[in-house]
Amino acid sequence: MTTTAVALRATRRSRSLRSVTVTAALAAAAFALFVFTMMAGSMRLTAGEVIGSVLYLRDDPSVDFVVRGLRLPTAATACAVGLALGASGTIFQQLLRNPLASPDFVGITWGASLAAVTGIVVLQVGGLAVSGLALGGALLAAILMYLLAWRDGVSGYRFILIGIGVAVFFEGLIGYMLTRAHLFEARQAMHWMTGSVGQANGDELRLLVLALIVLLPLAMLLQRQLRALELGDDAARALGTRTEASRAALLAVAVTLVALAVAAAGPIVFVALVAGPIANRLLGPAGGGIPAAALAGAVLMLTADLVAVHLMPTPLPTGVVTGAVGAPYLLWLLATTNRQGAGG
Amino acid sequence: MTRLRAEGLTLGYDDRPIVRDLDVSVLDGKVTAIVGANACGKSTLLRGLARLLAPRAGTVLLDGKSVSDLSTLDVAKVLGLLPQSPVAPDGITVADLVSRGRYPHQGWFRRWTESDHDAVARALEATGTADLMDRPLRQLSGGQRQRVWVAMALAQDTDLLLLDEPTTFLDIAHQVDLLRLLRKLNADAGKTIVVVLHDLNLACRFCDHIIAMADGAIVAEGPPTEVVTATLVEKVFGLTCVVVPDPVAGTPMVVPAED
Ligand SMILES: Nc1ncnc2c1ncn2[C@@H]1O[C@H](COP(=O)(O)OP(=O)(O)OP(=O)(O)O)[C@@H](O)[C@H]1O
Ligand SMILES: [Mg+2]
Repeated sequence: MTTTAVALRATRRSRSLRSVTVTAALAAAAFALFVFTMMAGSMRLTAGEVIGSVLYLRDDPSVDFVVRGLRLPTAATACAVGLALGASGTIFQQLLRNPLASPDFVGITWGASLAAVTGIVVLQVGGLAVSGLALGGALLAAILMYLLAWRDGVSGYRFILIGIGVAVFFEGLIGYMLTRAHLFEARQAMHWMTGSVGQANGDELRLLVLALIVLLPLAMLLQRQLRALELGDDAARALGTRTEASRAALLAVAVTLVALAVAAAGPIVFVALVAGPIANRLLGPAGGGIPAAALAGAVLMLTADLVAVHLMPTPLPTGVVTGAVGAPYLLWLLATTNRQGAGG
Repeated sequence: MTRLRAEGLTLGYDDRPIVRDLDVSVLDGKVTAIVGANACGKSTLLRGLARLLAPRAGTVLLDGKSVSDLSTLDVAKVLGLLPQSPVAPDGITVADLVSRGRYPHQGWFRRWTESDHDAVARALEATGTADLMDRPLRQLSGGQRQRVWVAMALAQDTDLLLLDEPTTFLDIAHQVDLLRLLRKLNADAGKTIVVVLHDLNLACRFCDHIIAMADGAIVAEGPPTEVVTATLVEKVFGLTCVVVPDPVAGTPMVVPAED
């Protein structure tokens, strides 16, 4: 065995060790935050009480009411939405080879929002119908993006500019929808539009969790194809990837996850944009892992929810906090990618 | 019998056919150079042979079977291709990039084995990039990067290897090194190699067989001494020249005439 082979093996071993450690640490952080969110509030609870109640290990009606009835749905939504946005964001960024290409920047999130808002204010539906509409809207936006920009290649600012254009177009339509709404529905829709994890209806949450259980493992299997697609279509095909099918499958996973997350919590901005880069920072040269990005998304959402609900003088919608944290990051990203010339 | 050949192959983009009704057989166990002017369809032909581009008409046969009937993975285990301008993901290291060449040999669940490590190590050593292993690709010079891409194609460890202009960006010494490496792979491992080259002199010196293309068609093919003549160079490149024997190997050497 040559020294090169030995060195390669050592590098690979330290990479996978780092990747496992980082992913496990993120999972532990997400779990701790998940439990902590349910402990905090006007009725302080211990970790034991929370876990006991969630797992049906104890019977204490007042604790059960607060935990299972009020706090678990919110915490579970934050966690599930974070996982979905993190995974979806990193898939988009890797497929489009651009750190700016998260679903909220290429219009997908807004397509889903437009359809959901239309459902809320015009059709006055809720629950699974909103999820269904969001999914339809996200697919529509994805197809629109494909037709407008993707066919001619995906690199560079052109794609992002078209994405922002599509997003603005949808936002305009959303504004129009709101002016057409009655006061009550308009307020409901406005609240929804800011993005908040406290509002999910049980059906939307259950559908999102189900989708995560099926799609996250699928995304992990498709990670291999994603790594090949990153080399460009020619090289990916030469390596034996079925590029069209792989890309379609990855896009379907990412679009579905973001649509169902939007249906559950409204258009939460920036989480999908920053989760992947944060995970990549931690992973170092082993970057790109979808599970780590998903968990980073969950950590971000749970933290944002904690800050929004408990650290602010008056509780805020989660989307306000993620927006306040995400905007400076975006500016930094724009400044640095421009300098490196990596954005196109 | 040749393992890779095309019959009546027509290839194109959108509505424009580029390669028309072309027949070609890649000689087994030989090093073949494809030469021709810019935009004459060399890359297109290579992409068609490696089923990166679906034929408009005709077929590409690999081991007697049409490549469009084979699974992409099965083709990739036998036939490798280095595209003319591959793209590397941001921040990827040399070892990671070369490792991706192992893709067709790994499955959904079976990931890294000893043979994968050995193939990657051999590819790094053969291209002289083992020292660069842990460096990010972005920090390398154009020539170093080019050798890393060649290493990735080598790591795929296929019997047939198609390389689209692997010598671009390389200095003269590295160009010669790379061609010697291809010769060695051919001699030691019996690999069949097709390489697009722009340097006719190096093509004549290091390749067994030359295919000259113009306007999407093959205008001449055969051993360098038979194919590379002043008339052919005039016809393919529109360059008036004198062809003299290479002082070392006696292969044809193209010297531009005075204008
Ligand atoms: N993806 C594409 N879409 C449309 N047309 C293309 C595409 N790729 C190549 N072409 C066209 O096909 C023709 C042949 O291109 P090809 O890349 O095969 O040339 P080449 O012989 O490899 O040239 P070079 O020596 O410059 O690499 C050119 O006219 C080019 O414009
Ligand atoms: Mg070419």
